[in-house]
Amino acid sequence: MSHDPASAPAAPESLEPGRFGTFLADKGIASKRLSDSCGVETIEVSADDLKRALAELRTNEETRLGLLLTISGVDMADSIDSVYHLRSYYSNDELVVKVVTPKASIPEGRLPLVPSLANEWPAADWHERETYDLVGIRYIGHPYLRRILNPWDWEGHPLRRDYRQPVDALNDKNPHSFR
Amino acid sequence: MTTTELKTTGLKTDEMLINMGPQHPATHGVLRLLLTLDGEFVKHVEPVLGHLHRAQEWQGQNRTWFQYQALIDRVDYLSGMFTSWALSRAAERIEGIQVPERAEYFRVMLSEMNRITSHLLWLGTYLIDLGAMFGFPFYPFREREKLLDLFEAIAGQRMMFNYIRIGGVMREAPPGWFDKLKRFTEEFPQRIDEYEAIVTENPIFLKRTTGVGILTKETAMAYGVTGPCLRASGVDHDLRTFRPYSVYPKLKFNVPVLEGDGDTRARYTCRVREMRESNEIIKQCIEQMPGGTSDEMRKRAAAGEKIEDPNWQLTGKKQNAGLRIKAGEGFEAVESPRGTLGCYVISTGGDTPYRFRWRNPSFCNLSVLSELLVGSPIADIMAIFGSIDVILPDVDR
Repeated sequence: MSHDPASAPAAPESLEPGRFGTFLADKGIASKRLSDSCGVETIEVSADDLKRALAELRTNEETRLGLLLTISGVDMADSIDSVYHLRSYYSNDELVVKVVTPKASIPEGRLPLVPSLANEWPAADWHERETYDLVGIRYIGHPYLRRILNPWDWEGHPLRRDYRQPVDALNDKNPHSFR
Repeated sequence: MTTTELKTTGLKTDEMLINMGPQHPATHGVLRLLLTLDGEFVKHVEPVLGHLHRAQEWQGQNRTWFQYQALIDRVDYLSGMFTSWALSRAAERIEGIQVPERAEYFRVMLSEMNRITSHLLWLGTYLIDLGAMFGFPFYPFREREKLLDLFEAIAGQRMMFNYIRIGGVMREAPPGWFDKLKRFTEEFPQRIDEYEAIVTENPIFLKRTTGVGILTKETAMAYGVTGPCLRASGVDHDLRTFRPYSVYPKLKFNVPVLEGDGDTRARYTCRVREMRESNEIIKQCIEQMPGGTSDEMRKRAAAGEKIEDPNWQLTGKKQNAGLRIKAGEGFEAVESPRGTLGCYVISTGGDTPYRFRWRNPSFCNLSVLSELLVGSPIADIMAIFGSIDVILPDVDR
């Protein structure tokens, strides 16, 4: 079992921008191409550009990536990623967008901040809540960022690599618990 | 009084907060709905999930690939073949394993059988949700039982199959299995005719479903709804034809897409038509199976013939318990009875995946519920909720 953060995938070297990277560059949005995930273009955008980039990719006639499959949070060795899998209802296009927050830039005891898409794109709503719950990414601007799978008063984010299970998780001692 | 008349009388009552579930018999699992009611009508809904949360993703990250294969059928217990298939495809794609054609035919055939069992269970229980107390639910279960027996014979289990494995499938069918399946496919269309005779034009059914829970194209697409719910709203999006995988390009079938409202009746129609198409796919699979049926293969082996054609094997690469997958990440999806079932895997080359993420169709389809229920009377809640065909373990994982 590999709990060791050192075994996380290594950071890839820089690559030429792909089709969607070029498209975003034309719109004035900077992106960085990462190594493809099984032949699917993968790009990294900064947290500030995320909303604008995804709005363009979703609505523009050229791309029309209107199906947000999932938002996944990943605890990598030295960063916490928010990964968006986009597909289209009209074509075979596919794109993976990542927002990478280096762990060094997160203040002690705080969660990484990523802008929320939930207000414009309802599909993101529950996925962001789930990622907040399990991986601990705070989506700024989410209308109802509350735990969704774990109980409301749960502590910690179980899919973090440094998470330790409570000693007595089954028998709750909290008198104010909702359970 | 009809609902519109009730709405226009102008009578006002205090809003009420009512808790529905989690132990409600019609939620098919444990779902809690916090309803804000204005008289009889729903003003706001908040689904409270997580009662069945079993940390499937965490379990995937803390077990070897081989161990986790045995667990994933529980993610969506009514369509275990599809969850196994999504995981296997993701692992195979990262590792670059070529699956033999015969194994792919087995996968398609059993998955389509699984789709029929899932839709049959939905049909039976949905009619109970609508209040059909005349024994109808047992008719679909009659056919479902036959398919479950066939599953038991080939995989050893009736629901948690663990039949599709990374690299291929588990084993050949036992003697006589194909004949039984063939007989089933011949009589099944008439059985669907029987259900349709009872349900499709039934005046009570029509009253309960027509124009109820209308899901427009735009809403469905904004919420990321997939599967029959989306196709009932008029969007032609089925991974089997849209982004063909496995041997689906070699099979002839239609994807039922309904023009019009996208109400609960459309979702019913879509699923019933899908069962007929699945039946056709199974028939074609039996005919096209490379190397013939299992009985023929056994005859060949008994005659001393050596089976060397790589397409006729059941596994591309024999997997053992120490299975390792190359470093890399990938997302693979299959079309499950409920929609796009995907699996996002990051592997570091070890025997355990580094990160494991499910994309569950039930979870995404359920998120549209709060949109659908607003404005409908309490009596319609279960009619609408049932028509989305949500499996709660698939929502909560």
